[in-house]
Amino acid sequence: MYQESRKMGDHPSSGLLFDFLFGRSTRHRNRQVVRHLLDGCAVCAAAVDGVPSLPRAQTFDYAAAFGRVERAVEERHHDFAVERAEAAERLREIAVQPFYRQWIMVTESAHFRTWGFCVLLLDACREWGFQDPPRALHTARLGLEIADRLDRERYGAARVNDLRARAWATLANAERILNDFRAAEKSFGRAERLLKEGTGDPLEAAFYLLLKASLCGHQQRFSEAFRLLDRVQRTARRCGDLHLCGKALITRGFLAGMAHEPELSLQLLREGLGLVDPGAEPRLVVAACHNLILGLTESGRHQEARELLEDSRPLYQRLGDSMNLIRLTWIEGKIALGCAELGRAEALLLEARSELTERGLAYDAALLCLDLARLYARQGRGAEMRRLAEEILPIFQAREIGREAVSALIVFQKAAAMETVTLGIVQELSDSLQESRAVPGLRFRESL
Amino acid sequence: MTSSAMATLDHPELRESLNNLLRSSRPRLERVLRNFEVPPEDAEDILQDAQLTLLYKWDKVRSPESWLIGTVKKKCIMYWRKRRGSLCEAVDTAILDLIALPQAPDQERTELTCDLNRVLSKLSARCRSLLKLRYGLGYGPTEVAEQMGYQTSSIRKVTNRCLAALTRQLLAVGFHVAPEGVGEDDHVPGEPQDG
Repeated sequence: MYQESRKMGDHPSSGLLFDFLFGRSTRHRNRQVVRHLLDGCAVCAAAVDGVPSLPRAQTFDYAAAFGRVERAVEERHHDFAVERAEAAERLREIAVQPFYRQWIMVTESAHFRTWGFCVLLLDACREWGFQDPPRALHTARLGLEIADRLDRERYGAARVNDLRARAWATLANAERILNDFRAAEKSFGRAERLLKEGTGDPLEAAFYLLLKASLCGHQQRFSEAFRLLDRVQRTARRCGDLHLCGKALITRGFLAGMAHEPELSLQLLREGLGLVDPGAEPRLVVAACHNLILGLTESGRHQEARELLEDSRPLYQRLGDSMNLIRLTWIEGKIALGCAELGRAEALLLEARSELTERGLAYDAALLCLDLARLYARQGRGAEMRRLAEEILPIFQAREIGREAVSALIVFQKAAAMETVTLGIVQELSDSLQESRAVPGLRFRESL
Repeated sequence: MTSSAMATLDHPELRESLNNLLRSSRPRLERVLRNFEVPPEDAEDILQDAQLTLLYKWDKVRSPESWLIGTVKKKCIMYWRKRRGSLCEAVDTAILDLIALPQAPDQERTELTCDLNRVLSKLSARCRSLLKLRYGLGYGPTEVAEQMGYQTSSIRKVTNRCLAALTRQLLAVGFHVAPEGVGEDDHVPGEPQDG
């Protein structure tokens, strides 16, 4: 055999070289070619200096390939269309069930193990992230369970890994919103590993990076968060996706606000809003507008904030989300307070507080009371301030807050008891609570 | 469950959109495939895979043409990486087979060793040592790792790099090489480009 390869003639044919290069040759033939090349044959080395110099490579005709691809996709499209239509039905079916029942349905019935249904569930998590984080967490777990059980043969192993990565990232985001940062880190780790076994779709990676950036920001790892967002923006530009670029800017704006860079935050939020498609993610737009209005209010630009609020009001109302409408009332109260319209401010703040209390959102109501405290301090209404302090202090004390916030609470408590609370004391308490990561406050926790 | 989630469902025009996209992007896609020198039978796999992914992710892709062209380019890069890997493996197997052939006369064996040493002499000292242990002394990966002080977990990667260097040397400049450390989402300089 060895001798045969040495006597092979002067050079392997171009066809044999081609087959060797493209992995289509037999082991025996490969041995012949390699032995020949080990001789240091300059002619063959030159022949394989770039495949196109081989005759076959110059005659590539892709027409048949395109035709077959079109037919193959058409066939698959039919199945997928049916699957998507059924997915909507399944979603309606499952939505009315309690959590434990949803879990049983998903794990026991193969009808739910489809790509279309999984995608719908994961999309729903984003919506719930804004309104009902525990529900978002549960839904993400359901989505993950389905993604793990998808038929790899049917959808392709790499694509399934993409979707599993998306499910883990969605779960991580839900965990982050619920302040379980350790669990979120682990889930993001799983998502990252799965992405490496996926299709390499840059948009899938961008989705992961966007959510991971949020986690980094909430962990005060701002430079890392901004680096991740840079990558998202690069991907968005390369894929011609302005909406994604806008989302990255809005997230950057949210994080800049958390990093105490209010001007930068306002600028980024404005830029981001200019790029996103409002019809695609209205909640994101409302959240961005809201944080922009809040930023303007906190920077003392009340008139600007009021104008933007009036422009955005139809969007809040169109969305119709009751929590958003309460936030709207709250921020209107803040603006009125900033504009020294104290009567109107008090009425709006009391209205928002009552709505929050009715929904059992005691902590948010307590945060709102800090704005009422500012108002009372301004008017020197010591008795109301004392009552307010008695009401809100236990709520803050029950929460895990930083040492500085605890000190500020004690100062506030004593001053309230002596009816000597000043605007400065209220501001200090408010600032120290904002520093504490447990306090999202009126600001939207971005849940992109 | 939610209005926006539901809104993404109704895409009666999806099939038509995908087909139109494939037709309108065809000149650019063909250019990409030609520039990357992908044979038609492999091009079909690449295109089909990209189109199916687009079908499943249609709702998430805002600029399908850019996405499709970018994805096909990336798949072409991955195709060549995989090809290079297979080629290195074929070269490695062929050399191991040649060395192991029992019936080779002494003179032929000496010539083979001489030719192999000549090619290895053009490689870096590290690759030369590693491949001499592999081909000359018949060491397995664990033994090579021990002998050269590598972690067993990293020896596979190091061996692959050395095999790539050997293959490059055998084929002179006969195949495209992506620089080390090029990320998945980065463009590979030196690879053929879409015109």
